[in-house]
Amino acid sequence: MLLMGVVILIVVTEIMKDALLEESRNRAVSIGISLAARAEEPILAMDLLRMKTLVDETVQMSDDILYSFILDEKGEPLVHTFKWGFPVDLKKANQVPDNVKSSIRFLDTGNRYIDDYAFPIVIEERRFGTVRLGLLRTKMDMAMSRLFRSTVLSIGFVILLATLVGTGLALPVTKRIRILHESSNQVIRGNLDVHTASPLKHNCWEITACGERSCPAYENFDIRCWHLEGTHCPDFKNGNSIEKMAFCQQCQVYRKCSGDEIQSLAERFDSMALSLKRHISELRETQNTLREQRQRLKTVLDATPDFVFLQDSQSKYLAANKAYCELVGKKEEEIIGLTDFDLFPRHWAERFREEDQKILETGNPHVREGKVKGGNGSRLYHIVKTPVYDANGRVAGLHCSGRDINEFKQVQDRATQAQKMEAIGQLTAGVAHEINTPLGIILGYAQLQLEDVDAESQIHEDLKTIEKHAKICRKIVSDLLRFSRHTESTMGPLDINEAIEDVLSVAEHTFNLERVSLARRYDPDLPPIEGDKEKIKQAVINLANNAFDAIGTDGVITVSTHYDHIRNEVVIRVTDNGAGIPPETQGRIFDPFFTTKPVGKGTGLGLSVTFGIVEEHGGKIAVESPLNREENPGKHQGRQGTAFVIRLPVSKETDEEETINGKNTGSG
Amino acid sequence: MKRIGKLQNGLTICLLILLSGCTQEEPVQKVDLTKREEVRIKEEKNVITYAYLPQYSHRLAYQRHFMLLDFLRKETGLNIKQIFPDTFDEHMKMVGQGKIDISYTNPFNYTKIARRHGAKAFARTIEIYGREKFRGQIICRADNRAIQSIEDCRGKRWIAVDSTSAGGYLYCLGLFMSHGIRKEDFSEVAFAPGPGGKQEKVVLAVYTGKYDVGSIREGTLSVVSDKIDVTKIKILTHTPWYPGWLFAARANLDDDIVESIRRAFIKLDDTRPEHHRILKQAGFTGIISSTDRDYDPVRTLVLQLGIDRD
Repeated sequence: MLLMGVVILIVVTEIMKDALLEESRNRAVSIGISLAARAEEPILAMDLLRMKTLVDETVQMSDDILYSFILDEKGEPLVHTFKWGFPVDLKKANQVPDNVKSSIRFLDTGNRYIDDYAFPIVIEERRFGTVRLGLLRTKMDMAMSRLFRSTVLSIGFVILLATLVGTGLALPVTKRIRILHESSNQVIRGNLDVHTASPLKHNCWEITACGERSCPAYENFDIRCWHLEGTHCPDFKNGNSIEKMAFCQQCQVYRKCSGDEIQSLAERFDSMALSLKRHISELRETQNTLREQRQRLKTVLDATPDFVFLQDSQSKYLAANKAYCELVGKKEEEIIGLTDFDLFPRHWAERFREEDQKILETGNPHVREGKVKGGNGSRLYHIVKTPVYDANGRVAGLHCSGRDINEFKQVQDRATQAQKMEAIGQLTAGVAHEINTPLGIILGYAQLQLEDVDAESQIHEDLKTIEKHAKICRKIVSDLLRFSRHTESTMGPLDINEAIEDVLSVAEHTFNLERVSLARRYDPDLPPIEGDKEKIKQAVINLANNAFDAIGTDGVITVSTHYDHIRNEVVIRVTDNGAGIPPETQGRIFDPFFTTKPVGKGTGLGLSVTFGIVEEHGGKIAVESPLNREENPGKHQGRQGTAFVIRLPVSKETDEEETINGKNTGSG
Repeated sequence: MKRIGKLQNGLTICLLILLSGCTQEEPVQKVDLTKREEVRIKEEKNVITYAYLPQYSHRLAYQRHFMLLDFLRKETGLNIKQIFPDTFDEHMKMVGQGKIDISYTNPFNYTKIARRHGAKAFARTIEIYGREKFRGQIICRADNRAIQSIEDCRGKRWIAVDSTSAGGYLYCLGLFMSHGIRKEDFSEVAFAPGPGGKQEKVVLAVYTGKYDVGSIREGTLSVVSDKIDVTKIKILTHTPWYPGWLFAARANLDDDIVESIRRAFIKLDDTRPEHHRILKQAGFTGIISSTDRDYDPVRTLVLQLGIDRD
């Protein structure tokens, strides 16, 4: 305010100074022009007396006119008002051309400042002389000082008055605006419980005496009724906020209670804050619900072993589940926004994009099987891509799911192999049956001939060879028949440990000859199983023989049993520290006629027979190779070791008995 | 609020800066008033002075004859300078004193200066209406219904130019007397206050209604046509024709000078554009030679009027 006052003072002073100066000059010019006009006649007449009278009269007109004089056409003074001669310097101090009305010069005499005015006396373009006037600045300066003082006083008074009046008027306004400002700051900080509007003297329920206690406006001191929805106003039923406001403006409550603009603004602010708070609360609830749903959906998607992802029409990833993230070896947030070109080799990505475009164009799903190279190596997947539609029914992207079908394929292959084996078995049974009779004849006749010939003769030797190979053939045929023929099993409760021990006690001597020892680790608490003892023994001896063959010499065969409580199975484990089985052949070892032994050493039917026996008992057989260090101390010598694991289900009766016992125990 | 305050301060500072740029210092010229000198009017020598009988203002007198004098200076090679006596009497006195060498005067005044101071007419003008003579006019306001003829002037207020004015008083007085109206028959007879511009003052006095009738030299109305609406003025009647204004030389002025001036005057030919401008500015159409005898009719009129010729 003070600064403005100074500015106003300067401006006003300057303007008034200019105006005064202008006024003074105008007055001087007016006097000078008049004098010049009045001097025409005397100067023509060379009437010096009249001229002198004129200049004297001019000087007497005002205190600030210091001098006046008339020069002739040559610039020489004719008459003047100076008492002691004419000042020579003044002659040329202000020379005015013929063609201008006046000329002003600011003269400094050393102790005074003078405005010197010159006016040419020209008649018919001929110069007859010059009239000169000298006005003291002192008087004008005094006037200026007086003016300045009065202006300062006036402006000071006005400033003081304006400050007092302005403060008095502005204080209530600024106070309310400050409250509004503070409230807005509170809202910005997140506090929506603001009460900006000052409470009014009258309230709607008092004015109308409505008694509507259920009305949202009733005893609501914070929000005016015209800002509230759903009020119980008797004359207003339904309508939007604009219609309600139009109704309210005609209402006596509004007329009595509505305040000025600031009050209205504050009430609206409070109403908006309340509304905002309500909306934010709803928004948060919705947000939480959405978050939960999203989390559930993510859990569902992540829990499935199938990979699932969503792409937009440009094949950009919108979402991907955990399986897919693991497949491509990236996090979901890294994948989103990328395309196949960022994740896969270019030729793959191009093929995927072609597929996607076809789906986006036609809207038809796409199903295929394909190998996908991921973190777990190359896997076969069953992939289904289906279009995703937007709200307008247009294809907006696609959904893709992929299922790992490697296991399924293996099972399928095995089933095929089993079917093939079954056919071979039937064929083999027929062939073996046909061969068995002639083979018996060959063997019989060979043995008869052996009795007739000299034991030392060549023929005897040859017949022995025939007998030996005929026996080998008979064993092969016998194995084939056992493998293929579905002989009736004699099932009954069976002690596995006992059956195993029967086998091992027979074979142990033979194994020891080759320095292969047998280690037994029987579980003494094995439950009995339902099985055919002979067949189980056959299965165990086959595994023991295989172990022995794998070791050759110097080794240990460990046979252990235990009971798997969880699965309710009896587990037989036959391990050796032999050469081990390479992974690539592990899938084929149970195939008939598959053998790694030299010709004549094995028929390739041992494990097939074992496999068949185990299956017949409802069990499973698996191979593990190589073994870990604990199980195979000889691993460091280059022996990988092998373990065959047979799982046989415990008989149902035993199971039920145990359950009943368990229940009894539990109840007891 | 703080921001508004800052803005206000910024604006104020800007205003102050602008204001400081607006004030400018006036250039000051130092003068020493202590060096003084006495004023001395230097009289020019070998100057032929020329004066117009001050029937009009000095300015008008100058405006009318400055071109004529330029022409004379050029033609005669003489240093002729126009001077401006304030009154008819002063004019006549200056002729007698030898301060006016060439006088442009009316016939009545001429008869006086010829008689008193021996002045001699040597040329006279041809009026704008083509005559070498001129006459007076009696005027009144056009809307003055009381004055329809010269007889109606009886008992009215009369303003004349000067007691010595030919066309502006004497000729008109002669006309009144010829109609049996004497000076005493007017309720008031006044003369225009001097000095200078007397003819115009008569017209203005009638125009403003201060006087009922006025007497002026013919041609005056055209002079004041730019000051008043002359249609509001009615010319009641004209006086008879009398010899026009003349150029007279003072007694003892060198005859050669007079002759050279006369010759120069006679040279003026209104048909020549450069001379036409001079003559038009002077208010006549030509100058012819003249002698003292040409003004005997005036002398006769003066005798009739019983005016003191001295």
